[in-house]
Amino acid sequence: MADFEITIDGQQVPVTKGQTVLEAAQAVGIEIPHFCWHRHLVPVGACRICLVEIEKFPKLQPACATVAGEGMVVHTDSPQVIKARQGVLEFLLANHPLDCPTCDQGGECELQDVAFKYGLDYSRHQEPKHRFLVGPESTFDDLRIGPEIIRSQNRCIHCYRCVRLVNEAFMEDDLGAYQRGCHTEIKPPPGGEIRNLYSGNLVQNCPVGALTSSDWRYQVRVWLTKQAQVICPHCPDGCNLKLWTYHNRILRATAAGNDFVNDGFICDVGRYGYQFATSPDRIKQPMIRKAGELVEATWTEALEYIKSQTNTLKSKLSGSGFFGLVGESSTNEEIYAFGRLLRRVIGTNNIDHRLGRKRKLSLGRQVVERGIGSDTIEYADIEKADVILVIGSDLHAENPITALRVKKAIRQHGARLILANPRPTPLGIRAAQVEVIYKPATEVMFLLGLIAALISEAGKKPEAIDLEASPIEEFRSKHESSGQAAAICGVAAATLEKIAATLSNAENIVILTGREVEQHPYRDSIYLAIGNLQSLCRSACFAPMPTDSNSRGASLFGAEPDLLPGGVSVDDKAGYEDTWKGPISEMVGKDTIGILDAIAEDEIECGFIFNTDPIRVFPDGNQVKSILEGLKLLVVIDSFMNDTARIADVILPLSSSLETEGTVVNWEGRLQYSQAAIAPLFESKPGCEIIELLADHLGVKFNQPTPTDVYREMIQFLNGEMPAQTQAIGREGVLIKSTEKKAVPDLADIKYTPYSEDNQYPFVLLVGNADHHRGTLSEKNDSLMKFTSEPFVGINAAEADKLIVANGDLVRVESRYGKVVGKVTILKGFADGQVLVPDNFIELCPNLLMGRQEKVDLVKLTKM
Amino acid sequence: MQTKILTEFVTDPQQHRIETAVSRGAYQAWEKVVREIAPDDLIELVKKSGIRGRGGAGFPAGVKWGFVPRQSPKPKYLCCNADESEPGTCKDRVLLENDPHRVIEGMAICSFAIESHQAFVYIRGEFVLAARRMQAAIDEAYQRGYLGKNIFGSGYDLDMVVHRGGGAYICGEETALLNSLEGDRGVTRIRPPFPAVEGLYGCPTVVNNVETLSALPSIVNRGADWWAQLGTEKSTGTKLFSLSGHVKRPGNYEVEMGYSLKNLIYEKGGGILDDKKLKVVIPGGSSTPMLTPDKIDTPLDFESVVTAGSMLGSGAVIVIHEETCIVWVTELLAHFYAHESCGKCTPCREGTQWMYEILRRIEHGRGTMEDIDTLLDLADNIEGNTICPLGDAAAVPVISSIKQFRDEYIYHIEHKKCLVKSDFRLR
Amino acid sequence: MILSPQAREKIVAAAKQYPQVKSAILPALHVANEEHGYVSDQMYREIADLLDLKCVDVAAAASFYTYFPKAPRGRYYIQVCRNISCALLGARHLSTYLQEKLGLKELGETTPDNLFTVVEVECLGSCTTAPMMQINDDYYENLTKEKVDQIIADLKSRAPGR
Ligand SMILES: Cc1cc2nc3c(=O)[nH]c(=O)nc-3n(C[C@H](O)[C@H](O)[C@H](O)COP(=O)(O)O)c2cc1C
Ligand code: SF4
Ligand code: FES
Repeated sequence: MADFEITIDGQQVPVTKGQTVLEAAQAVGIEIPHFCWHRHLVPVGACRICLVEIEKFPKLQPACATVAGEGMVVHTDSPQVIKARQGVLEFLLANHPLDCPTCDQGGECELQDVAFKYGLDYSRHQEPKHRFLVGPESTFDDLRIGPEIIRSQNRCIHCYRCVRLVNEAFMEDDLGAYQRGCHTEIKPPPGGEIRNLYSGNLVQNCPVGALTSSDWRYQVRVWLTKQAQVICPHCPDGCNLKLWTYHNRILRATAAGNDFVNDGFICDVGRYGYQFATSPDRIKQPMIRKAGELVEATWTEALEYIKSQTNTLKSKLSGSGFFGLVGESSTNEEIYAFGRLLRRVIGTNNIDHRLGRKRKLSLGRQVVERGIGSDTIEYADIEKADVILVIGSDLHAENPITALRVKKAIRQHGARLILANPRPTPLGIRAAQVEVIYKPATEVMFLLGLIAALISEAGKKPEAIDLEASPIEEFRSKHESSGQAAAICGVAAATLEKIAATLSNAENIVILTGREVEQHPYRDSIYLAIGNLQSLCRSACFAPMPTDSNSRGASLFGAEPDLLPGGVSVDDKAGYEDTWKGPISEMVGKDTIGILDAIAEDEIECGFIFNTDPIRVFPDGNQVKSILEGLKLLVVIDSFMNDTARIADVILPLSSSLETEGTVVNWEGRLQYSQAAIAPLFESKPGCEIIELLADHLGVKFNQPTPTDVYREMIQFLNGEMPAQTQAIGREGVLIKSTEKKAVPDLADIKYTPYSEDNQYPFVLLVGNADHHRGTLSEKNDSLMKFTSEPFVGINAAEADKLIVANGDLVRVESRYGKVVGKVTILKGFADGQVLVPDNFIELCPNLLMGRQEKVDLVKLTKM
Repeated sequence: MQTKILTEFVTDPQQHRIETAVSRGAYQAWEKVVREIAPDDLIELVKKSGIRGRGGAGFPAGVKWGFVPRQSPKPKYLCCNADESEPGTCKDRVLLENDPHRVIEGMAICSFAIESHQAFVYIRGEFVLAARRMQAAIDEAYQRGYLGKNIFGSGYDLDMVVHRGGGAYICGEETALLNSLEGDRGVTRIRPPFPAVEGLYGCPTVVNNVETLSALPSIVNRGADWWAQLGTEKSTGTKLFSLSGHVKRPGNYEVEMGYSLKNLIYEKGGGILDDKKLKVVIPGGSSTPMLTPDKIDTPLDFESVVTAGSMLGSGAVIVIHEETCIVWVTELLAHFYAHESCGKCTPCREGTQWMYEILRRIEHGRGTMEDIDTLLDLADNIEGNTICPLGDAAAVPVISSIKQFRDEYIYHIEHKKCLVKSDFRLR
Repeated sequence: MILSPQAREKIVAAAKQYPQVKSAILPALHVANEEHGYVSDQMYREIADLLDLKCVDVAAAASFYTYFPKAPRGRYYIQVCRNISCALLGARHLSTYLQEKLGLKELGETTPDNLFTVVEVECLGSCTTAPMMQINDDYYENLTKEKVDQIIADLKSRAPGR
């Protein structure tokens, strides 16, 4: 693929057009030292350590910023180059404190490494070192410039990577370079801190110890640690983390370089979100309820207890009196084994994982037939897209690393981002070309309006749309009502036209939807509308973002009542019975809603809940609780004490995701392998081992106590080639392609049903993430708690005035189902009649306010 | 011989008013350009005149304009560099304050040639009067239709904006100037891309010095050949020299290129102050190598000054007499460069400060013999290795003073004091 | 709000002159400085809000330049050129003379009546009329002791309340 060759140190080096001398050299393993260069940033040629000699150039040139030209002859180690390099190094070290013995970067310091290679062992610098002091009395220069970041300006080598990352890659605004010359320092804006969601990356990418993070500093020398490659359990982005451990303690997490996925970055939730492993909420040993109290027990006691209770119940009930719920942050192996336990050992298909979807758990037939939302989209596709349309997602908080890819597309080739949400989101402020705020629950109308605008755009510019593929007349007839769409969804017709024009000119559209859509009772209609929109565009692919880190794995590996591992219908169970050496039920099981109803009807009396907390996450938590309390036997297998565990009859302590290996599938459908970073803590056991023990006690031995064993069996149910061993899963992971997309049978008829307002409950409830949080796991990390606000109830200033409340005042949020209390936070740009409640805090669970039958959650607010 | 072309009217306190300026022919060249000359021909004309940039580097103006990609769909910009901060230089201020319409006319002509519709004049922040005069003159020019929409009914539009700097020498460097104008910190940018291709807001941009642009009206009025026959073959026209330091009559003198340094100092300048002996001349602003009295006959044109071992630079001739300590002079200049380094690239940021500190030590009697070679080596490690020429500029006085006055450095170190104490009283 | 409505208007008008709003940072700093004699963090924030820019950009840019003091100075801000051409003609003595005359212990200090602050600065581009100083917007050139005495006396008599 090389376009031409250049000569570096006598070696012929292939070059693709536009590559710099540094990149060309790196590609063939010729090392040119560099500090300011960073592969994600525009070269600035500032540090000058990469100077090389290029024949016919009058001066040395920075390799990092010099585009290779055909026929160039480059010397990276001529005497002139070595002298310049040593000169630069001497300058860098002149005022550097040389406090390596007490510097946390020691052993992984780029300055140390280059000095080691080229440095002189003495310094001609006799002058007192230039010192940045942080206060009049300070002798140290440690300055906290963010909740977790400490700056030692004296060590800074002015590569400006940090400032440029904040500006260019993260598009944030909380760090700058101040003063000039040798007084230049790196600081947040006046009165501010570095608090952006990617702040930890600055520490990781600082070549020296100028930026360190307080979780890691002064704990251990880096060369004494061990590292494990782990997939982040906090969101479906599937970032690759490196966990640094010492004596079975995790000391920090960094981004592991994986260009296919996180591209060298992670968000702070992933970076600091390892601390849950040692959270005080950890369940340390098995417990059994005795005389109404949960008391500590041994594993044997607990397992024997479950065995006897289950046997009693089994003699009375058939399998259909049992159920299992599994959390979507479990590994594939755990999910698969758990499903097998229920289907084969207990004999029920009552199993579900989709608690996060809240109300409409399964997609409708129309959507499934059309295959809407099953396009395979990779990160790389986002990077290549020219238009990215995001609907109903606070992408920045829900999928932070996906949001970074979107930013990359924007900065690298000017991709346009169109954001449509019921409320303003951080990404909108930072990066969106168009940010649309629609009225709550009017996604469908917004889409219909967009389609109408596209149709008229097509009329204006017939070449813009493939008319043959999309019969405009038919579209028109299907979308007749869309004229009024603008008024209903509250988006100006002009805005819809502007978006339509952008879409019709686009070659490569990526559509993403998020939590707002995923949890929407009308999700089907939204999907169908997107399907219609897709067929109007030249090339548009659509991926709905799943709710949790392994939601996709959970549906793939058989945690749904009607589908066996691999997405096969329960009717086709023969193959599974062979492998599992025994019969499984042919009855389609019940989903979460059906299960709860059946418990209420006393049709189900015993359940196993693995790594999830329905009382906290499922709508109408109060009701969920009272229903689950009606069970004869509730076994909870979890790492943390939570509301559901508190009402359990038996609790088994589960090793956290950092203590167990296994595979998970991110939103792209990429299956990745996660190592165990540390050995199981306390008396916990990894999920697969617990499930094997349970199966054994309940009568079937699979002899697969480890994830590796389970993996080997599990992969046979997947289409396509899978590595036979987890160890063989490479950096790239395995992209599990969805089944071929079916040809669109016809355009879908789309229904829009408005919700009916209720004077008694005048606010629409929106659920979101608090700063530096995602889901419920992030709450258990001290570092993250430093970033976050207190649990809050967000409304706009006008509503606050009406309620006569100010920032920080307590309000009660109340619905027909329940109430919560929180402190008011006034949000900018937020519409009237809406309230935002984060779902990251135990003190303030918005699911208590939700009704399972509701189209839209309506609440009222009272000042306390 | 003093040929007053650019400075013909600067001593008239009324010249900054448009009535006066117009009565003396201002904007005639502008009208001629707009009505009669095509941009390409204008560029040719300026190329033929041979005029070279007066900001320091001496790059032929017409050639620079020719680099602007005319086909580019992006807007093009002109920035007039009025940041004048090189120690010793104060010629642009004279033009800005006293004949602003000449500067505006020159800017207009250049804008037309490169098909720009927006021109900026970047005036150093401290020049408050210059900025006021320029703004007032621009307002007058708008009123008379020399600027704005549809100039002379030709359909050509031109806007002109006064942009004030904030006190930073580096912003005279063209890429730093662009950053500063864009609202960023005034740090430099690596080249390529050159401003002519990717400058202000990423668009093709020409940066020219005030004096360069001010010559254009005369060149258009009187022809390229007229200008070309002034001065020398390769350094055409007249040039403003700011004569300062130990001379009896300091001042800005406009003379033909090639005028002798000796005549400038002794005839225009009336000789050395208090009839002392000349020690050294810095011929082109603080960043040019020093010339010793044996070079006094050097003609002041780009080539000859290079032959003599220095550079014409911005034309700031600083005269220094015998009672001046060279270490003291060098320390002074080193302080300046350390203070003005933008801090982006390592050798300049660290090296300028380090050199200053060593010089300060020597000047204060705490130097060592190794310091001399360290200074030379540090200067060598800076020179040519920085993003912009400020690093070179900082290295030059150090290298040139040590090369020519090593003995004085040695004396300083051995005796812990100056050979000659520079103690210049306020009169 | 520290910046007056007039100042805000000027800033908004300045921003309209440029293809990109960010270019108005320097003009805005000048407006603020003209109105207050210094530019504070709060003013950075106001400028950023007014122009819809990032505060960090305003503050970082401002800190790069020497022209915008961060804290109030005396009514007459005297900048003495310390660079070569002026130094050759007695600039060192000019600043010590001023210092003594105004009873200032150090450069950078302000007189107790808040009238004068004296600092030394790099070349002010008035080398042919050395030694020289700038007081607020104005240049005072070819200085001698007598001239300095006269200038200070004039300024003192011009100061309000006297
Ligand atoms: C550190 C530095 C400072 C400079 N200062 C000025 C200046 O104040 N005025 C100026 O016209 N050019 C200055 N220059 C030169 C400019 O970069 C640029 O070459 C010049 O403005 C081009 O105009 P010209 O071709 O008309 O000379 C400076 C260059 C450097 C490296
Ligand atoms: S703090 Fe670190 S990353 Fe930032 S400029 Fe300094 S050395 Fe570079
Ligand atoms: S890596 Fe090339 S100049 Fe810094």
